[in-house]
Amino acid sequence: MPVPFESLIPFAIISGMFLVTGTGIQYAQNKRNEGKTVRYSVDDWDHKMMQRDKQLTGTLRGQVDAPVASEEFKVNSSWKVYESLRNDFA
Amino acid sequence: MVNPGYKHFKGEDWVDPTPPPAHLPTVDEVGCTGAPLKSASFFIGSMCKEYNEDFMLCKNETRDPEHCLLEGRKVTRCAIDALQKIQSKCLSEFRTHWQCLDSKNQELGRCRQQEKVLNQCLFAAFGWKKDVPGSPANKPQIHERKPLTS
Repeated sequence: MPVPFESLIPFAIISGMFLVTGTGIQYAQNKRNEGKTVRYSVDDWDHKMMQRDKQLTGTLRGQVDAPVASEEFKVNSSWKVYESLRNDFA
Repeated sequence: MVNPGYKHFKGEDWVDPTPPPAHLPTVDEVGCTGAPLKSASFFIGSMCKEYNEDFMLCKNETRDPEHCLLEGRKVTRCAIDALQKIQSKCLSEFRTHWQCLDSKNQELGRCRQQEKVLNQCLFAAFGWKKDVPGSPANKPQIHERKPLTS
């Protein structure tokens, strides 16, 4: 008697689920990083640099290379809002 | 970004309503984001070494921001000057390099080919050589090492 096709249906369902999760993760990461690969091992320096990039471009992964910043950059920092984000002097 | 406790007032909409005092000279800010800065970092470092060291020594005395405004302005102007020089002569090589860095998690070791092209262009234009401070003198620098398996 040949292999019954009914027993292979669970395998198909399982691989289908792997495909669904893989595609979902790819889509989510693509959306969040504007088509670029994910940033990993982000330390404190990189985190603060990405926040600065957000002030300059509006998104965490946007990049521009103008030597001089626009005038909005001088006043759009939100770090002054919250006391504990500032460095403590003296 | 949402600052804790300010969910009603997102950080992106914040505009500082208090300008700096009028007696301070104004200075343009550096407009490069992370990847172009990392690409140009060693050249900015070698060109602006004295100003950067002055600023670091000044900050070492006290963390008060008012104490080091003059040195900070010099650092910013020097960095802008270095970036303008790089972009005047080697713009396309610079752009290829930092776009490569952007897609490789900003790791310099993964973009050596584009870096080589950029270094050659900058050496031909200004005579600048990328030098990693503190590397041993008897061995080739890390960006000039030949890989064991190419």
